[in-house]
Amino acid sequence: MKQRKLFWTAAFLVGAHLMAGLAGFFAPYHYAAQDRLHPYASPSLPHLMDCSGKIHLRPFVYGIRNKQGSFTDYQPDCSAQMPVHFLVTGEEYSLFGLIPSSLHLFGVSGPGEINLLGTDAFGRDQFSRVVYGAQVSLLAGGLAGVLAVFAGVIVGTISGFYGGVVDEAAMRVAEIAIAVPSLYLLLAARSFLPLEISPLMAFLLVISVIGLLSWARPARLVRGLVMSARERNFVLAAQGFGASKSYVMRRHLVPMTFSVALTQLAILIPQFILAEVVLSFLGLGIGEPFPSWGNMLAEAQQYHVLASCWWMLLPGLAPVPFFVAYHALADALQKKTKVNL
Amino acid sequence: MIRYLSRRLAHGVLLLAGVSMLLFVFQKAAPGDFFLGMRLNPELSGQTLQGLRAEYGLDQPLPQRYARWLGSALRGDLGPSFAYNLPVTTLLWPRIKNTLLLSVPALLISWLIAIPLGLLAAWRRTGWIDRIFSGSTSTLLALPDVLLALLAVLLALRTHIFPVGGMTAGTDAGESTAGLLQHMVLPVFVLVVGSVGPLLRQVRASAIEVMDSSYFRAAQGNGLGRTTLLFRHALPAAANPLISLFGLSAGFLLSASILVEVIMSWPGMGPLMLEAIFGRDLFVVIGAVMISTLLLVLGNLLADVLLYFCDPRIRVQS
Amino acid sequence: MRSIRPITPSFLLACLLLPASLARPEGRQQDLLKVSVPVGHPGGVLVVSQSSEPKTLNPVVAVDQPSRDVIRRMTADLVHINRATQKTEPALARSWKSNREGSQFTVELRRGLRFSDGAPFTADDVVFSFQVYLDEKVHSPQRDLLLAGGKPMRVEKLGPYTVKFSFVAPYAPAERVFDSLAILPRHLLEQGYKAGKINQVWNLTTSAEKIAGLGPFRLKQVLPGEKLVLERNPYYWKTDSQGQILPYLNELIFLTVPSRDAQVVRFRAGETQIITQVSAENYSALLADQQTGRYKLYDAGPGLEYNFLVFNLNDDVKGRLPAIAQKQTWFRDQRFREAVSLAIDRAAIVRMVYQGRGVALATPVSPGDKLWFDSDIPIPEYSPEKARKLLQAAGFSWNSSGALTDSSGQPVDFSILVNSGNVQRSQMATLIQEDLKKIGINVHVAGLEFRSATDRVLNSHDYEVALMGLGRGDADPTPDMSVLSSDGDIHLWNMGEKTPATPWEAEIDRLMRKQQVTPNYAERKKLFDRVQAILAEQQPMIFLASPNILTAARDGLENVRPAIMDNYILWNADELFWHTPAGKH
Repeated sequence: MKQRKLFWTAAFLVGAHLMAGLAGFFAPYHYAAQDRLHPYASPSLPHLMDCSGKIHLRPFVYGIRNKQGSFTDYQPDCSAQMPVHFLVTGEEYSLFGLIPSSLHLFGVSGPGEINLLGTDAFGRDQFSRVVYGAQVSLLAGGLAGVLAVFAGVIVGTISGFYGGVVDEAAMRVAEIAIAVPSLYLLLAARSFLPLEISPLMAFLLVISVIGLLSWARPARLVRGLVMSARERNFVLAAQGFGASKSYVMRRHLVPMTFSVALTQLAILIPQFILAEVVLSFLGLGIGEPFPSWGNMLAEAQQYHVLASCWWMLLPGLAPVPFFVAYHALADALQKKTKVNL
Repeated sequence: MIRYLSRRLAHGVLLLAGVSMLLFVFQKAAPGDFFLGMRLNPELSGQTLQGLRAEYGLDQPLPQRYARWLGSALRGDLGPSFAYNLPVTTLLWPRIKNTLLLSVPALLISWLIAIPLGLLAAWRRTGWIDRIFSGSTSTLLALPDVLLALLAVLLALRTHIFPVGGMTAGTDAGESTAGLLQHMVLPVFVLVVGSVGPLLRQVRASAIEVMDSSYFRAAQGNGLGRTTLLFRHALPAAANPLISLFGLSAGFLLSASILVEVIMSWPGMGPLMLEAIFGRDLFVVIGAVMISTLLLVLGNLLADVLLYFCDPRIRVQS
Repeated sequence: MRSIRPITPSFLLACLLLPASLARPEGRQQDLLKVSVPVGHPGGVLVVSQSSEPKTLNPVVAVDQPSRDVIRRMTADLVHINRATQKTEPALARSWKSNREGSQFTVELRRGLRFSDGAPFTADDVVFSFQVYLDEKVHSPQRDLLLAGGKPMRVEKLGPYTVKFSFVAPYAPAERVFDSLAILPRHLLEQGYKAGKINQVWNLTTSAEKIAGLGPFRLKQVLPGEKLVLERNPYYWKTDSQGQILPYLNELIFLTVPSRDAQVVRFRAGETQIITQVSAENYSALLADQQTGRYKLYDAGPGLEYNFLVFNLNDDVKGRLPAIAQKQTWFRDQRFREAVSLAIDRAAIVRMVYQGRGVALATPVSPGDKLWFDSDIPIPEYSPEKARKLLQAAGFSWNSSGALTDSSGQPVDFSILVNSGNVQRSQMATLIQEDLKKIGINVHVAGLEFRSATDRVLNSHDYEVALMGLGRGDADPTPDMSVLSSDGDIHLWNMGEKTPATPWEAEIDRLMRKQQVTPNYAERKKLFDRVQAILAEQQPMIFLASPNILTAARDGLENVRPAIMDNYILWNADELFWHTPAGKH
């Protein structure tokens, strides 16, 4: 039963990440493709019934045209019916940055666009941006999570194994790391980077800094584990046989921390996904034109968006399924760990 | 016990010193200083700004500036704010008060919700209740504070039941308690929704650990009632990690509500801190972090004392 | 010393019933200024939001906009720039005379005026104020404009109501620099000044009775971080045409609401009654509900902010930042700069970023500047074809994938540095990125937080192209010298040039120096027109667009006359009144 739950959550996460990786296929348009005539268009849901009440078998969407005297108010254009097709050829993209393709899961034929989640200030398709934005947000979460746990395991193992002064120093530094707000360091980190690197690279470097800064919590957990483990017989025996300290740490202690590390990872990754939202809200997130869930949600703090473009809030819900899955994974891992210990 | 506490206190002082030094180094690394912002005003000359820099000692080397700040910190004013021409402590106190007005009720309400619900979820650990529980706590965790605050503002704007922001009404002189409570409802609600998720998970996890233990099974076998079991037996036994967590949360009393305060224009630490960080109002930031750290230290101490009285195992050790 | 007490209804009644001369016994010998605006009713409260808290109430040190907005309601100046006409007019100075070359001004003060605490106002207060502003040790940000030819002006008292100001050289904008220079009460501040503590006085913790000014309002209460309450100054020196002492409003309340969007929310919820500046997008959103929302929106036309791209032409990057130095060979070519300008769709910027409520620019001077705008300079057209031709003529070509390359085959790409906190400028950068892609230039948009970006442009020069905006608060060419003259403090494209790097920069320097000492407006205008023409031709900065000044006020507030100079809507706060005397909405 528990094994099955673990399997299914893991499978879901792998699938969801794959979908983000294959964003080019699932998104009907490129994330930066502007449609300057249609900013802030509301979601266009596929219809089966047309304006005159006739039923169609193939779903279709209507084109939109501006209401008199407004740049951002639209009404459906009943004369422009655009049927929805699956597996269509559209804009060129490359899968994982390697394989060029132009196949999209769906699209419409006709002069207009299908915008399942509406469009933003530049008339860019919000649905495509949410799908592409998953790449940035998930990558940010994953990268920072892995770095935090990695640094935590190293410091925690050393600190727990040596104990004494080393341990004392490491734990004091850990307290400082928890107490200092990282915003200051972020400002510094972002502005040290050269400007010619792409916003994506710059952002990933910044998020790596956050990750490396968050070593303290996993380190404390790992330290506790290692402290109790180093007194266990097989570790003492290995040392008795003359194994070097680094050998003991690498071969016996670090592997013991794997399950704790994995659990921490499943807890930390979602936290960093949210950290990205906060960063973007403060204007320190990924730069234009790249989408991320955070910078898409940050748009919605503008009054006119909040008051009249409800669909711009939807990217804020995108993390929900990932959180549910990651937490289920963490729970399952925790239970499994307990059984093994 | 006394020896233990004094050792922790010494750690606290060490921590404060370390944090302050680190912040000085960080701000040195962040480009530009407070007065750089005025450079783009065509009416101001660089010479005047240089004079202002010198007045605040910003042209001195880092160790000297730190020493100067340490002196004023020991006198209790934590240095001047460049923007306000005021000692940082004078600036911070009223805002700290306002922030605590939000974060303390939010913290208490979150715990009051988390303890019974968490115990219940641990009790009914399998089946659909558990699934709903873990699904909804994950969802709560996944909703960014920003989104919640924006939704709250939208709700207030549409329904006119609650004020859309601020701490008092525009023309109110600020003495009416009813008005204050009305303004507190939405931000406190957002903070509770934002913070109750992790607490629930923690309470549930700690309670499950207790419920798996043999003595709890024995108590259960004795046929005690559910409420007695949960609150008289499970809760005290699971309290240990929870008390530590409670102590830790003291450190976040001043920072947890920053974004909510900014979005809902609550006159607390949030707007001040954000402006000070981006405006490089150095001593305001350092002062706020120091007080926050102090709260963390005190919170941990309080947790230690509580643990000492609640958990017999610790008393035996020391 | 007056005591602080809440304004009771009976006091209001007294104001309503008594003629002004009775309410103030010594009113007869006063030199009051009669203004001709629609006559209103006294009473009522006006609540307005500010995007950050005022930092100080001290006119000597205030630099941030919120502080200045509050202080300008509490203080008065000798000569004032009328925000509607953009011309100078008498204020505390009843009249003034200048000598022929425009270097000396003799000012006659209004007689019998009182500060808001009741103390009389004389020439001593004026002399004291300028002594403080000009004191080098005080580092007052107001000082720099009072220098002509690098030397401070001299201030002499000729009589109890006569003061003479002399500059070492003729100073064309002299009348205008008196605007917003608050006259300080000597009796309250001299002690602090002598103790060397003038910078610390009048902060947010100072009690209200220790602060006094000559403005329409005076301080009542400060709630830290939240709001600041001003009350009517009963000693104010302006009257309406019926002799009623202004201001009409009893209280003016400034709320701190930390974002422009939250300000609109508060206004929509009825908690504030005016918004001093609305973004174009929010303006459109508000426009939709104008009828039901019981408010009016005002479009005051193009403001004095200009947004532009600036190329890094700094000489000191050579050797230090080789990658940028290499790109400077493109940037230094006028044809390259013009091609970039031709490839930018300014109309799209105005439409997308400002929702059509803005203007495209050819120079830093927007059409909103009534005195200095030059309508003969055409707005650069949008023509990627012409841009391509120009690039081809300059030796650039396109490779097989359509990317622009220079004569050595190096692909042309650069980064645009932008303040990521500014939504409008970030949007402009995104649009320009798309525009330049069409002529084969690959652009990175690098968003940095304000001070990090400013540090790069002003100090380290580690950037390629920057998208920025500056304000021309004074509507006069003299402050522009710090940007345009090659020795200016923020000569953005080439900071700290020792000698002008190009002949056209030398020409700008000469023209700007000359306009500063030319008293005749028509001659000055000719000189500054020539400067603008050179800028439009050489394009060291590519001027993009100016936003319109958009404001909103609740129905029932009268005499609202938004202007494009600050404070856009509160500049005539003394004349505002509520249609219904209670002012409850």
